[in-house]
Amino acid sequence: MPETTAKKSQENNPQGKLDPPVNYIVSGLERSGTSMMMQMLANGGLPVAFDDGRKPDEHNPKGYYELDGGKIITRLMQNSFRFEDYKGRFIKITAFGLLYLPPGSYKIIYMQRNLDEVLDSMETMAQITDTQREETKQSFQKLNEKVLKDLQKRNDVKVLLLNYNEILQDPATLIAMLCRFLAPNRCDAQKMTTVIDKHLYRQRR
Amino acid sequence: MTMPEKTENEPSTTISIPMTLAKKIEKRIKGTPFSSPSAYVTYVLGEVLSDVEDETKESFSKEDEERVKARLRSLGYMD
Repeated sequence: MPETTAKKSQENNPQGKLDPPVNYIVSGLERSGTSMMMQMLANGGLPVAFDDGRKPDEHNPKGYYELDGGKIITRLMQNSFRFEDYKGRFIKITAFGLLYLPPGSYKIIYMQRNLDEVLDSMETMAQITDTQREETKQSFQKLNEKVLKDLQKRNDVKVLLLNYNEILQDPATLIAMLCRFLAPNRCDAQKMTTVIDKHLYRQRR
Repeated sequence: MTMPEKTENEPSTTISIPMTLAKKIEKRIKGTPFSSPSAYVTYVLGEVLSDVEDETKESFSKEDEERVKARLRSLGYMD
């Protein structure tokens, strides 16, 4: 979608950008806690960019924090996404989109979650019952592995892996890791913690 | 290149290689972090085996990609 027709974009940041040459990304499979992470960053005083293309709903009551209503993947595949417009602040690009990440300078928070929980949540959201669940699971497992392996080979990417289930169990430790990875003087760990809502952990294994 | 991992504490065995190859390795490692031809061979073989293991692992195929895309479409992440 061309920038001129994009939905109204939003910027939460009253304090200025992070390291300006760097693109900051929250990623991971869909339904692995990427929206929660964006909410945590925003609440913790870190700059995040998103638009109102997809409204909060019962699957994500606190919002999706996405660009192009989540369809940024299409623009990445077409190489038409303007990363330069989002330097120094976080955007959300789910895992498949990272296969099309152009050369640049990136810091990526990659969310991981029990894969059966991810698939359960996807099926609930899409209102489907997957009759080929095991095949689907293997495909998403392989996608996760490929994305992380590809990132590992690049010298323009720094990645922090965070586990959704572990964040819920031990938020203080995981948020401390997150702040060390980013900008400790800009992180409000206490405010980040308040975003974590265990009531929204609905697909448990 | 990353430094080779220390293996001094691991049990070792002897593997024979042609003398000409050993001489080439000796020349090759001069001025590098490798302390001996054995350290170099251990590092290189480790890298080769790691690559081979990666290749034999089932990779993300076209079929996997189509399955993922179909799911992303159902979730509203792709048209």
